[in-house]
Amino acid sequence: MDMLLELDHISKIYGDLHAVDDLSLTVPQGEWLAIVGSSGSGKTTLMNMIGCMDTPSKGSVKLEGRKLEDLNASQLADVRKNMIGLVFQKFYLVPHLTAVENVMVAQYYHSVVDEKQALEALEKVGLKDRAHHLPGQLSGGEQQRVCVARALINEPKLILADEPTGNLDEKNEKIVLDLFRQLHQQGTTIIVVTHDALVAGCAEREIMLNHGVLVGEKWNDEKAREAYEAAGGKPASTGAQVEGAQTGETAIGFADPTKAAKTGDSLSE
Amino acid sequence: MTNTGMFFRMLFSAVFRRRSRAVMAVVASLVGAATLFCLAMICIAVPQQMNEEMRAYGANLIVTPAASGTDGKAGIDSAMVAHTTEMVAAKGSEKHASYRYENVRVNAAPYVMAGIDVAEVKNLNHHWVVDGAWPSAGKVMIGRDVADAMGLEIGGRITIGYRAADNAGSSTSTSAPSAEGAGAADAATEGETSTANGSQSSSANVSSSQPTQDGRVSSDIMDTSGTEFRVAGIVDTGGSEDSIIYATNDDVAKLTGTTRGVDVIEYSAGTEDLNALVASINDMTSMHVKAQPVTKITSSDTRIITMLQTLFWIVSLVVLALTLVGVGTTISSIVSQRRNEIGLRKALGASSSAIGAEFYVESAMYGLIGGLIGTAIGFGLAQWLCVAVFQRSIGFNWWLAAASVALSALVAVVASIPPVHRATRIDPAVVLREE
Repeated sequence: MDMLLELDHISKIYGDLHAVDDLSLTVPQGEWLAIVGSSGSGKTTLMNMIGCMDTPSKGSVKLEGRKLEDLNASQLADVRKNMIGLVFQKFYLVPHLTAVENVMVAQYYHSVVDEKQALEALEKVGLKDRAHHLPGQLSGGEQQRVCVARALINEPKLILADEPTGNLDEKNEKIVLDLFRQLHQQGTTIIVVTHDALVAGCAEREIMLNHGVLVGEKWNDEKAREAYEAAGGKPASTGAQVEGAQTGETAIGFADPTKAAKTGDSLSE
Repeated sequence: MTNTGMFFRMLFSAVFRRRSRAVMAVVASLVGAATLFCLAMICIAVPQQMNEEMRAYGANLIVTPAASGTDGKAGIDSAMVAHTTEMVAAKGSEKHASYRYENVRVNAAPYVMAGIDVAEVKNLNHHWVVDGAWPSAGKVMIGRDVADAMGLEIGGRITIGYRAADNAGSSTSTSAPSAEGAGAADAATEGETSTANGSQSSSANVSSSQPTQDGRVSSDIMDTSGTEFRVAGIVDTGGSEDSIIYATNDDVAKLTGTTRGVDVIEYSAGTEDLNALVASINDMTSMHVKAQPVTKITSSDTRIITMLQTLFWIVSLVVLALTLVGVGTTISSIVSQRRNEIGLRKALGASSSAIGAEFYVESAMYGLIGGLIGTAIGFGLAQWLCVAVFQRSIGFNWWLAAASVALSALVAVVASIPPVHRATRIDPAVVLREE
C-alpha cells in the first residue's frame, strides 16, 4: 500500500505554545481519516500544514513522497491545485461569483475551464438548479455543497475538509457525508477535521489531538486496519512527553467526546 | 469557455456585481483625473491666454529700414513687408501694423503725420482710447497733445501743409526707432536722440540747414498753406502717440504727392524666443531692414507669465500629490477588503502572479473608467474657468487627456500593489484564519 501522506515529527510552535507537538502519522492512498479533538486542540493547524497552506516549525511533511519543506511558494501552489481539494467550515466562496463560477475558479487555476463539467459537479451535489445563484442567495448547506463541488472538480487525490458540517443542519450534514462516501468509494483519500462524533464515525480511522498532542487512535473499519498493517503501516505517534500521549507503537483507544457526552461514557485509556 | 474568457468573466463580475465598491473606486479615480486634467489645462492655457492678453497691449517687435543704404528713403516696400511678416508668422502667431511718417506743418508749426492702414493699427493697439472715429478719407485722427495744443475738437478742421524740404533728410531720421522704443510712435518721435518728442525731433530734422528759434525755423509763421482735413477722432494713449496726426495711407500719399514704402512695421509676435526671431531677421542683410525687440513689453510679459506659470505649477503639484494620496488610499482600502478572497484563491492553487494580474487589471479598469470620465469633467471645469476669467474658450488637448487617463490607471494599479503583495506573500491559512 502506497503512503499518500507521511508526517514525520511535525510541530507548529507559536512562541511557547505548541499548536501541534511532534506528531508522526502515515495515511495511505484511499483512506478516510478523521482528526478529532476539542476546540484549540490543533486540528485545523494540522490540516493547514497537510494542505500546504501553512508550514511546520519542525519536522517534515511528505505528499506522494515529495517533501513539502523543499518546495517554494509556487511549487506549493502547484501541489494545492493538483493534489488537494479543500472544504472549509466557513465555505469561503467568492461572493461576487455564481455557484458555477466558483467551481470554475478551481478549474481556472488548475488547468482549463469547462463550464459543462462544472455544472455536472454541481449536479452531483444536487445544485444544478442553483448554479447561477450568487453565494448570498444560497443557504449554508447549499454553499457547503458548492464548496464540495469545487473541491472535487479537479479530481484531487486528497480531500481536506475542516469541520465540513459544522455550520449545517442534519439534512445537509447527511447530504455532505453521502458525497464524501461516494468520493471515498471512488478511491479518493479524505481527511476530515471534526469534533462531531457522527462525522468522525464515518471515517475508517480516527486520531485524537488534545492541546496539540496525539492522545489516541482508533479504527472504525477493521478490514482497513488489517490492510494498513499488512502494508507496513504503523500507528500514529508523538514524541511529546506528556501524560496520556500516544508515544509508542501501540494505539490508545478513545471514545468520541461528543458521544461520551451524550452517553455518559468516560474516555477509555 | 477559455481561461481568457474566465479571466474577463471574473473581472466583469468583480466590477459589476460589486457595484458600490466599484463606484467608490471609479469616483476616487474620477476626482483625481478631473483635478489633474483641469489643473494641467489651466497651467498650459493660462500663460497662453495671458500671452495673448499681453499682445493686445501693442507691439513687442519693430522693424525699420536699415540705417545704411539708399533704401532708407524709400522705406520698406510692400513686398518686403509681406516677406518680413512671413518670417514672423513662421515662428508663431502675429499681428502687425505699418506706419509711414512724414513731417508736416499745421499753422506753420511742425508735426509728425503717420499714414496707416486703419484696420491693422486698430487690431494691434487695443489699448488705444479713441474718442470719435478712426481716420478715413479726408478725415484725420489727432493725438490728445495735438488737439490740446491747437484747441481742436472732433468735427473741427485742420489744415496740414507738406514741404518737401522738411523731409529732405533720410526718412529713417524721422522714423528711426530707439533701441528701447515701445513702438512706432516712439520710433517716430524719439528719432535718433531717443529723448525728444515728435515735434521737436521733426523740427530738429527740418531745421538742420536753417536758423531756429524755440525749435522752429524763422520762416514758420509765414507759411500756413496746406490741405484741409476734418478731425474724425482724438487718440489718447498717454504715450508719444498723442503727439501724432494719423491719416490713411492714401491721404498721406495725396498730401505728399508721392507713394513710398513704410518707415516702421510693428509686430505683436507670439514666438517664444523673440530674440532668435530678431536675430534671424537681422541676419538677412539683403532685406535691408533692422529688427528690434520692444524690451519694455517683452520683459514684463515674460516676468508676469513666468510668475503665473510657476504659481500654477506649484499649486497643481500640491493638489496633485494630495489627490494621488486620496485615490491611492481609496483603491488600497478597497483591495484590502478582499484580503480573504486573495487567501482563498491562493488556497485553491493560484500563484501570486496570477492573483496580482487579476487585481491589477481590475484596478486599472477602475482607473481607466474614472480617468475617462474625470478627464471629460476636468476639461469642462477648465473650459468654464477660462470662459469665466478670460472670456475665451480653450481647445481640447488630446495628448494631455491621454496622459491623464493613463496616469489615473497607473495610480490605481500602483495603489493596489501593496495590499495585493501583502496578502499574497503570507500563507493562505493565515489570511483565511483572520476572518
